[in-house]
Amino acid sequence: MSDKKKSNRSFKDSRVYVVFFALTVALVFSVLITSAATMLKPLHQQNRILDKKTNLLEAANLLPENEKMTPEKIQAIYDTHIREVHADPRGQILRSATGDSLQLYLIHTDQQVQGYIVPISTRGLWGKIHGYLAFEADGETVAGFSVYSHSETPGLGGEIESQWFQDNFKGKKILNAHNQLVSVSIAKGRTENLPESLQDHYVDGISGATLTGRYLSEGLEETLMQYEPVSIIFRQKKGTQTQLETLLDE
Amino acid sequence: MGDLLSLFINSVFIGNILLAYFLGICSFIAVSKTIETATGLGLAVIFVLTVTSPVNWLIYHGLLAPGALAWAGFPELDLSFLKFITFIAVIAAMVQAVEMVIDRYSPLLYATLGVFLPLIAVNCAILGTSLFIVERNHTFIESVVFGAGSGTGWMLAIVSLAAIRKKVRYADVPKGLDGFGFIMIIAGLMAMTFMMFSGITL
Amino acid sequence: MQNDLSHYKEILVKGIWRENPVAYQVLGICSALAVTVKMSTALVMSIALTLVAGFSGLIISSLRHLIPSNIRIIVELTVIASLVIITDQILQAYLYDISKQLSIFVGLIITNCIILGRAEAFALANNPADSFVDGIANGLGYSMILVAVAFLRELLGSGQFFGFSVIPQFVYDMGFQDMGIMVLAPGAFFVIGLLVWLKNSLPGISHEKK
Repeated sequence: MSDKKKSNRSFKDSRVYVVFFALTVALVFSVLITSAATMLKPLHQQNRILDKKTNLLEAANLLPENEKMTPEKIQAIYDTHIREVHADPRGQILRSATGDSLQLYLIHTDQQVQGYIVPISTRGLWGKIHGYLAFEADGETVAGFSVYSHSETPGLGGEIESQWFQDNFKGKKILNAHNQLVSVSIAKGRTENLPESLQDHYVDGISGATLTGRYLSEGLEETLMQYEPVSIIFRQKKGTQTQLETLLDE
Repeated sequence: MGDLLSLFINSVFIGNILLAYFLGICSFIAVSKTIETATGLGLAVIFVLTVTSPVNWLIYHGLLAPGALAWAGFPELDLSFLKFITFIAVIAAMVQAVEMVIDRYSPLLYATLGVFLPLIAVNCAILGTSLFIVERNHTFIESVVFGAGSGTGWMLAIVSLAAIRKKVRYADVPKGLDGFGFIMIIAGLMAMTFMMFSGITL
Repeated sequence: MQNDLSHYKEILVKGIWRENPVAYQVLGICSALAVTVKMSTALVMSIALTLVAGFSGLIISSLRHLIPSNIRIIVELTVIASLVIITDQILQAYLYDISKQLSIFVGLIITNCIILGRAEAFALANNPADSFVDGIANGLGYSMILVAVAFLRELLGSGQFFGFSVIPQFVYDMGFQDMGIMVLAPGAFFVIGLLVWLKNSLPGISHEKK
């Protein structure tokens, strides 16, 4: 970075002036960027929360298509349909967190529980993949999947945020014919090539992103095993409508 | 161990910092005229990346990350917005320091790498790697491996380009495509070749 | 101060077309290509870069009589980095989705050779107004290439324009398929190589030397 140009001809190049100038520049610009960062920080946090809510609604298929969404609309849909709850290790739904409880979200319409959403946080090829997996109230059918943060390669693993990939999760089952948990996995290639019995548990893979698919499959399985007690509770209620408040009070 | 190896291989081939993320193209084109200079610059990049990545990791997680200053009594403080300016300063300082150390202790190495070091301070592959490490939440060890892997990938790419340019020196390229455009097409073909490694699983 | 309009026009034309940064000066395509998969990201990146180029020219030129020559580059980097941080903060606050997709590439504006290059070559020797125009012009020239690449990549790679499907169904029925390669990195290299070829064949530019 040093530059031995010309000479130390004037006051401008004297040591005192250089130090003074450097300090002034440092001070002025640090004040500038710090005030910008401080002023905009509330907006950043708001955006981050809104982004998560949007993704929750997307996983639950509650976002109307072809409609411009404003933050207010998203907030309104979120408030009427989503309830953040916790579950203890036995699968009981709790209103607030305890030491070893898991976080999840209930989907409800007019106080009727329609399903639930579990947060996904797993490693990918490069960094963490964060997203949501939504289930219908029967505790075995996947309602939707969404990703709100990842650092996979654009065009390859990055396709996990694309619509076609996420849409493939809809209607998949996490239980096999013997009612055992098999999770839902990302196939290597198209699911058409798989045996009939497996097609319900696999989604189409992304070409060129074998590793992303593998890590995501592992992460989904791990998460689903953790949340299995909750899913069991839902499966036991199969067919009967559940009131939100009763579920919370049980 | 397997994970680290896989991270290394990935950063050399599939996620090649140059051919998949376009970082460091300036010097990729300017310094690929002969294999010797390309090798020298490549070695310097590996060296600087392996040193700056962990240093920037330490600085980010020790000072800038949200809550990193809890030990000093500021658990709420989030200085992560300063990462750009801090990283670039650290890189410039590290390059200067490395240059001085090499000059002092290894004149031979200095003769090979010395001229390239100042070039590297503004090479976006270096800043990009540090930013990727924050973005992807790598651990300290991963940051070393990722830094070394990215550097190796970058060197592999520039040395290959230099070799190819030597081969096609007398090729009859259409006027207008000659020069920069032609190098871009070569780089595109190289990028395709590197991407083929995405099929391998370790 | 020259208030002559044609004088500014001259600077603009030079920056945007005659000495266009990407093809002619072979500078600054570094971070450019990674954000050209989609028009929306390329456009936002272009605006951010143009503004940073303009204002860094303005600020550095205003300080040109005050900056001690031996810390010149570090001062220039400080100015540029600060502007980039502010830009990044603003993007995160008002265009969160796009800033998420741009990820680290906003930060890489700092090492973009165009900006430091213009600061060194132009801002230090000219008055603030001229330097501002010069920065904007060079930014716009760069933006032109970036947006052109993004246009082709989005159109050929995903059949879309700003996220809207624009290729009619009958074209697909005739057997056309989106070109996957365009979405991937090699596509960017090919497109830019061919664009440079096109541009070199157009009049008004001195042919680039090897």
